[in-house]
Amino acid sequence: MAPKAGQPAAAANSPLQTLWKAYTDTTPDRLKFIDSFLLFLMLSGVIQFVYCILVTDFPFNAFLAGFSSTVGQFVLSASLRSQVNPDNKEEFKEVSPERAFADFALGSIVLHFFVYNFLG
Amino acid sequence: MFLPTLFWLAAVAIAGVHARSSAGDSVLVVVEPEHQAKYSIFFQNIKDRGYELTFRAPQTEEPRLVEFDAPKFSHVVILAPEIKSIAKDIGPQGLVDVLSRGVNLLVALPQKQSPLSAFAAEFSLILPPPNTHLISYFPERNESATIIPVAPSKDHPILTNGITPIWFSGAPHALSTNPYLVPILHAPAQSFAGEPDSPGDVLADAAEKGGEGLWAGSQLGIVTGFQASNNARVTFVGGREVFSDEFAQKEINPGTKSGNTQFVNDIVAWTFQESLVFRVDKVEHRGLNTPISSDKYTVNDNVIFSAYISKYDPQTSTWASYSGIDDLQLEFTMLDPHIRTALLPESETPGKYSVTFRVPDRHGVFKFVINHRRNGMTYLQSSTTVAVVPPRHDEYPRFLSAAWPYYVGAMSTSIGFVLFSALWMARDVREEKKGKTE
Repeated sequence: MAPKAGQPAAAANSPLQTLWKAYTDTTPDRLKFIDSFLLFLMLSGVIQFVYCILVTDFPFNAFLAGFSSTVGQFVLSASLRSQVNPDNKEEFKEVSPERAFADFALGSIVLHFFVYNFLG
Repeated sequence: MFLPTLFWLAAVAIAGVHARSSAGDSVLVVVEPEHQAKYSIFFQNIKDRGYELTFRAPQTEEPRLVEFDAPKFSHVVILAPEIKSIAKDIGPQGLVDVLSRGVNLLVALPQKQSPLSAFAAEFSLILPPPNTHLISYFPERNESATIIPVAPSKDHPILTNGITPIWFSGAPHALSTNPYLVPILHAPAQSFAGEPDSPGDVLADAAEKGGEGLWAGSQLGIVTGFQASNNARVTFVGGREVFSDEFAQKEINPGTKSGNTQFVNDIVAWTFQESLVFRVDKVEHRGLNTPISSDKYTVNDNVIFSAYISKYDPQTSTWASYSGIDDLQLEFTMLDPHIRTALLPESETPGKYSVTFRVPDRHGVFKFVINHRRNGMTYLQSSTTVAVVPPRHDEYPRFLSAAWPYYVGAMSTSIGFVLFSALWMARDVREEKKGKTE
């Protein structure tokens, strides 16, 4: 993933642009899809946290439920991402992508069950 | 046409014979036997109102006022003020004792030193030195300066409206600030207290001191009531001549009889618990949205409190609903009144006073308290204890508007998860198809 030798000028101008280009070029669509979901969860968690700090943490159980649902979903999605990443195939030999998704779905359903129990 | 009227008159006459008082109809009259005839009109008037009179000389022991530790009479009239020694059970101690058991007293005050002077002092009346009379030279008249016409105030609640002036002879008394006192008749403005033989001396003395020490003017009382906290009533009259036949028949103006008979009737009616007698029949309270009464309310509940009040009607000896009290108050107290609000009469139900209010945001043991004390009226008291509790764990509001970001956050995560899973699996299916077709 290192920058190609043929484009040194562009890389020197903007490392961030290079990083972005490398990401868009080399990451499989599937992982990009997961990444966008992760981004959404992160933004949602940040908004709730800021609201809790600036406005009110009352009722606190609702905050805990809402915030931990984003955190929990983020953790589950991140594990799904690492398990279906083709680069990590050696690490997870016995876990097929289908199995990884099934684990993710089951974990999420259990998580949401607890979240709604705690929310009201 | 005449028949119903006749029946009605008969009914009134029958009702009038028995117990016009709300407290009972037995009266003990303490008077020297030799003076009894001087008050015959007064005694006859009381008898006509349905009271049973029992006479007793001041020094004799019989009939006893208290027997087997219970008062035998409902009312006591003492018309023997000048006696030096008085039987023990009608002495100051004995009278205070029966008063605290609800016996009403009508007492003529002495002009000489007597045990009754000490009795009056117990009720915050300040008596002048012995042998003092009320003296007035106005208006100009044939009688001596100690026999004075006094005009009662126009709108006194105890006295009949428009009563003619009365004759008075006796001693005035000064009133302390005791709130239980009910002034009924004040001395005329031009009158003063002094010894009848040498009235000039007291004026000369007072003039030297710049008026200090002179008992004079309308601040002095001559007939004063007292209503004890148990609603028993005492009336002190400055001189017993007010009750006498002589004053009752004496003309106040040429051609007009004095108001003494009417005046004495009025103060007897008040003293013997005929007039201005009220009671709280019952009180009730309930939550605004609950039909039945509860002894427990939650903080911030809305509560309706109602009291039913009756006034005694001496004409028929019955209690009738009364809606005429416009300054009744209700207090909702826990040590201090947390709420004090007007308890207003309801127009639909006579005698019902009610108010709706919100229970304070404070839990504890509260009381609905009515404590209505007005001069001359029976004290109205009522106290009902209720518990005010905080909401139960499941009575708090469950979903709050302040928490909407959290609810939206949790729901958006779930929706996101569902969408994510659907798209993920849709892509799986598409790739599979692609793999097959290739």
